[in-house]
Amino acid sequence: MAILTVDNISKTYGHIRALNNVSFSVPAGTVFGILGPNGSGKTTLLGIIMDVLRATQGSYTWNGQKGSNEQRRKIGTLLETPNFYPYLSAESNLKIAAEIKGQGLEDIPKVLQAVNLYQRRKSKFNTYSLGMKQRLAIASSLLGDPDILVFDEPTNGLDPAGIAEIRDLIQELNRNGKTIIMASHILDEVEKVCTHVAIIQKGDLKMVGSVGEVLSGSSIKAKIIEVASHDLAVLENVLRQMKGVLNVNLSENRLLITCEENMSAEQLNKYCFEKGIILSRLNLKTKSLETRFLEITGSQSDR
Amino acid sequence: MLKLFKIEWLKIREYKTFWALFIIFLVMDPLAFYFIASKYMESHGGGQQEVMIKAFLGSPFVFPKVWQFSAWLGGLFFVMIGMLYILLITNEVQYRTHRQNIIDGWSRMDFLKAKLSLLIFFVLTSTAVVFISGLLIGLVYTEGSYDIFEQVYYVGYFAMMATIYLMSAFLIGILVKRTGLSIIIYFALVCIVDNVLWLILTLKNSQFGYFLPLECADSLVPNPFKPTMMEKRTVSDIALISTIAAYALVFGYVIINYFRKSDLKT
Repeated sequence: MAILTVDNISKTYGHIRALNNVSFSVPAGTVFGILGPNGSGKTTLLGIIMDVLRATQGSYTWNGQKGSNEQRRKIGTLLETPNFYPYLSAESNLKIAAEIKGQGLEDIPKVLQAVNLYQRRKSKFNTYSLGMKQRLAIASSLLGDPDILVFDEPTNGLDPAGIAEIRDLIQELNRNGKTIIMASHILDEVEKVCTHVAIIQKGDLKMVGSVGEVLSGSSIKAKIIEVASHDLAVLENVLRQMKGVLNVNLSENRLLITCEENMSAEQLNKYCFEKGIILSRLNLKTKSLETRFLEITGSQSDR
Repeated sequence: MLKLFKIEWLKIREYKTFWALFIIFLVMDPLAFYFIASKYMESHGGGQQEVMIKAFLGSPFVFPKVWQFSAWLGGLFFVMIGMLYILLITNEVQYRTHRQNIIDGWSRMDFLKAKLSLLIFFVLTSTAVVFISGLLIGLVYTEGSYDIFEQVYYVGYFAMMATIYLMSAFLIGILVKRTGLSIIIYFALVCIVDNVLWLILTLKNSQFGYFLPLECADSLVPNPFKPTMMEKRTVSDIALISTIAAYALVFGYVIINYFRKSDLKT
């Protein structure tokens, strides 16, 4: 049975459409990634299913039932930023969360240990670093050992070791039978952690399914080649005129070329050389979520 | 409701600003009361003039008039509690904990009821302070035979005044959200807008001024030093009490209606 069903949800802020008839279901026992660039509507969607935002249209159900307080008490949630009383200690903050959830206080030491904050449990929240705040928010979501967890950008603000820890924690939670719904703009994170993915762009649901399905179900016959040269602007201009090139995107210090499937790296290299450009990088990308994501979203930044 | 108050208490019991402002009320109100009363009652030898003034004003520190003074003085200090109450509401928005409380499993109404439980707490504790300090000062300074509880209804009037002040603060906090702006609006309303409107209306010999949101409560407990002959009010106490109740209901309705439908953002 579906843990969460989102049915035709739309949300408008004045003239801005933040979500546009979004529908999907989250199967039990999955790690369900909601993937999209910044500003694509991920947090708005999570805000609606956690009842802090009102949908303009549409509905959702948790375990087949209309959303309610009782259901939210059994869902562990980290939404957008860690929200705590800054003048209270970690422990006192968790006490408030546990009381609202109707849970006993016996879980508090356990969840603090799970995120490595037990030693700092008496420190005030406003003395915490960004990463510690984020870990406290994850600890709070684990109170009462909920079967469903909702994480919005869970590794935000963490250092590389912290990121790895949280990813391990998420996978361990999933192995223990929890369903995890996770919003992220980090492709790599979704690819490493999630079993299922929904791709959102500018409020539209572009694609949804298991990571395998989304990867294999390419409707466009295209491939991605990564190139770089001394002058990226010139290279971009030249490549845009090449036959068979569908799209060119600047990504850090390289270009991602979406081109027809029959084009080879050799052809591309030759073309550039004839135009007087020496490539410093030429890399045929294997089909990853990143290439798929670029295909699906057209890869323009939405910011 | 008690369970909700318990959670509110967890939020505020380690909040220094809460204790600072709350203690100002709990301690300063009785201290100021005692100080004014002792100066007034014990300044002998002021001559004929002083005796006449005192005869003219009556004695605000003996039964039964001490109840009115206690309620009036409490009203002055209670403005601080109104500010504290706004702070406790707008803090939630600033910390985004109003969202978190809902995410963790409160309904929007639970959040409002929790804040209402705080309102009741402030009204009850401050009313107790007004009652106890009035009682003690009255017992100390009243001579001869007296009925302690004559005019004790002023303590009840204080409770109504405290309630409508906090309901106004509640409304401002929920609608305005920003701490600084909310407090400015609250003080502008309490100190300027309400009084200026009242003055304009009263100067025109209209009684409508007594039906203003805060003035209806203030008028229930007039300044005890103001001679009765200067009182222009002809509106009955019952009419004022009904007005307070009507405002409290309207404010409550607006708060609930707004908060239940709105997106919880900062």
